[in-house]
Amino acid sequence: MASLSSPTAAARRQDSPLLPFVGLRRSPSDNCMPTSRNAVSSRRRLQICAAKSSPRLPGRPLRVAVVGGGPAGGAAAESLAKGGVETILIERKLDNCKPCGGAIPLCMVEEFDLPLELIDRRVTKMKMISPSNVAVDIGRTLKPHEFIGMVRREVLDAYLRDRAAEAGAQVINGLFLHLDPPESGEGPYRLHYNLYDRGRPSAAGDRQTVEVDAVVGADGANSRVAKSIGAGDYDYAIAFQERVKIPEEKMKYYEERAEMYVGDDVSPDFYGWVFPKCDHVAVGTGTVTHKGEIKRFQAATRLRARDKIEGGKIIRVEAHPIPEHPRPRRVLGRVALIGDAAGYVTKCSGEGIYFAAKSGRMCAEAIVAGSESGTRMIDESDLRKYLKKFDQMYWPTYKVLDVLQKVFYRSNSAREAFVEMCADEYVQKMTFDSYLYKRVVPGNPMEDLKLAVNTIGSLVRASALKREMNKITL
Amino acid sequence: MALLSPVLPTFSSLSPNLSQKLHRTLLPKKKSSLFLTRGTGNGAGNVGSAAVEEKLEEKKEGAIPLESEEKKVEEKLPPESPDSNGAAVKAVVPTFNDRRWVGGTWDLKQFETDGKTDWDAVIDAEVQRRKWLEDNPEASNNDEPVIFDTSIIPWWSWVKRFHLPEAELLNGRAAMIGFFMAYFVDSLTGIGLVDQMGNFFCKTLLLIAVAGVLLIRRNEDIDTVKKLLEETTFYDKQWQATWLEDETPRVSNKE
Repeated sequence: MASLSSPTAAARRQDSPLLPFVGLRRSPSDNCMPTSRNAVSSRRRLQICAAKSSPRLPGRPLRVAVVGGGPAGGAAAESLAKGGVETILIERKLDNCKPCGGAIPLCMVEEFDLPLELIDRRVTKMKMISPSNVAVDIGRTLKPHEFIGMVRREVLDAYLRDRAAEAGAQVINGLFLHLDPPESGEGPYRLHYNLYDRGRPSAAGDRQTVEVDAVVGADGANSRVAKSIGAGDYDYAIAFQERVKIPEEKMKYYEERAEMYVGDDVSPDFYGWVFPKCDHVAVGTGTVTHKGEIKRFQAATRLRARDKIEGGKIIRVEAHPIPEHPRPRRVLGRVALIGDAAGYVTKCSGEGIYFAAKSGRMCAEAIVAGSESGTRMIDESDLRKYLKKFDQMYWPTYKVLDVLQKVFYRSNSAREAFVEMCADEYVQKMTFDSYLYKRVVPGNPMEDLKLAVNTIGSLVRASALKREMNKITL
Repeated sequence: MALLSPVLPTFSSLSPNLSQKLHRTLLPKKKSSLFLTRGTGNGAGNVGSAAVEEKLEEKKEGAIPLESEEKKVEEKLPPESPDSNGAAVKAVVPTFNDRRWVGGTWDLKQFETDGKTDWDAVIDAEVQRRKWLEDNPEASNNDEPVIFDTSIIPWWSWVKRFHLPEAELLNGRAAMIGFFMAYFVDSLTGIGLVDQMGNFFCKTLLLIAVAGVLLIRRNEDIDTVKKLLEETTFYDKQWQATWLEDETPRVSNKE
């Protein structure tokens, strides 16, 4: 055995990457690390070990706990259970209705085999509205079968969880409290949680403990799993949203349309939105930099949309943190973070459902592969494979959206240019293609050049006007 | 021209500046009439909406009529004109109003002087409108879409207005830098000016000089460029963080 395994182990050691992928440069100094590197202070020595050499589990499958039953947790639990891993899914509120735009791209419907009934609304028109109220309809280039699906989170989450349960995962209604790291290397993680009994919903729950071999943290922005592995913090945006029931005739307008308002009045670094929901609209806005003033921005959003939502009644008010960037640490030992807990929300558009579900699936696949369908122990290098794959696949998307946000949400003049740019059909086609199918298709170089020239033109014009605006007083 | 001029409103004969000033003084009056028409139906007083606000904070759910909410919004706006202190016209958003703003765009006919559109005046007018909207955001409305697009103003009028005043300075600066760079390169390497033109390294220097002159116009620009560089790499660092810690299995699994 030893003679057989050593060459493969050596080979693995060589290409076993554990290095950042090419897209990200590894910088020699880390003194400029953004947030809370202190929390992640312990310098760990570089040492690689191959999981293939990890021991077989004695007569039982690998046990993995997924904490959190959103799209990330649901998708992870399903893939884990299908891969022969003994899976438990801990969710604190099974009918949780998370405040969320609820937009999913077309490719998610295919990849996750979602039934079309889940989708309440098919948005085929996006309206972008600039600070000076120039409105541009995006979506003219969509083909008849293409749309952005709007789902209710409680419906989508429940569906994915049910599918995980069908595949063999055990869904537990409980509140995760904290976890104890293993005492020895191979030892189990001990998870403590409050089990909620269906019979006594109001009770605080019974304290329970469960031993597992690996933990997948999918418990969102205020992740307790992340806290318990010292994953560090991220900056977050606060999203504020009001569900407004508007009169029938006004609702017609929003049947297949979503609106985005940009401007300093609405949000200094994000956008305000009106999204159609099943029988009402969600009016909201978000910001990172001026969280204290969110109510003012919400009022401004309401004002900008006033004529279209007049006579509406607010049926629900909600607010939620949205991560701005990944946590400084996303994997430690046999604990991995996915979805919002890891911080996978794009800038600019603020999209997270698809990436959450994808990261869940990738993480689960990495665990299944590393454990050879649940028969062997896994270790950190297996989980790192998920990280590497995810970063490699989606880093360009995140980066592009970050650049877009930085360039175009910078000031009102940049936003004017942004809206002007979005009027272009080529831009719309590219935007929708990359949104709906999550792949970056190389465009036509001539068109790209034309676009670049036009965009710079728009930016220059808008900033020239801005300079004049600073000179005058009304 | 003679045929056209009677059609033009009398204002166009005045200088654009004057007409604007005149117009600005006219503005409040127009607003007040508009307030009255818009103000109907918003009868309830201050107290009611304050109560609503409290309720909203106490209990995040429950049906609240949006209209009273909106009133609150409107009241929050700084009173722009003395008129808005009056009880009757309270709680109404002032709207942008300009005689030359017709159907969601600038009526270019009204900007004509001597048969040519006075683009400078169009720019001025748009600047005023945007400034106004920044202070008093307006509801977007599908019945009255804004169709004005800055790209209808020809490029030369932008250049004339915004680039030419700076062009002298920039050209002069570029020429001086170019001259001294050529001098230093010559004195250090012995390559003459003519040969420098054929040299790749020198061409790169030239490009850097031109780009530098364009980017850094004032001293503050240096900071801006620095900040920009930091900003572009910041997100990368946030993503790299997890890869920067040295990995390791806390325990080796090999037997």
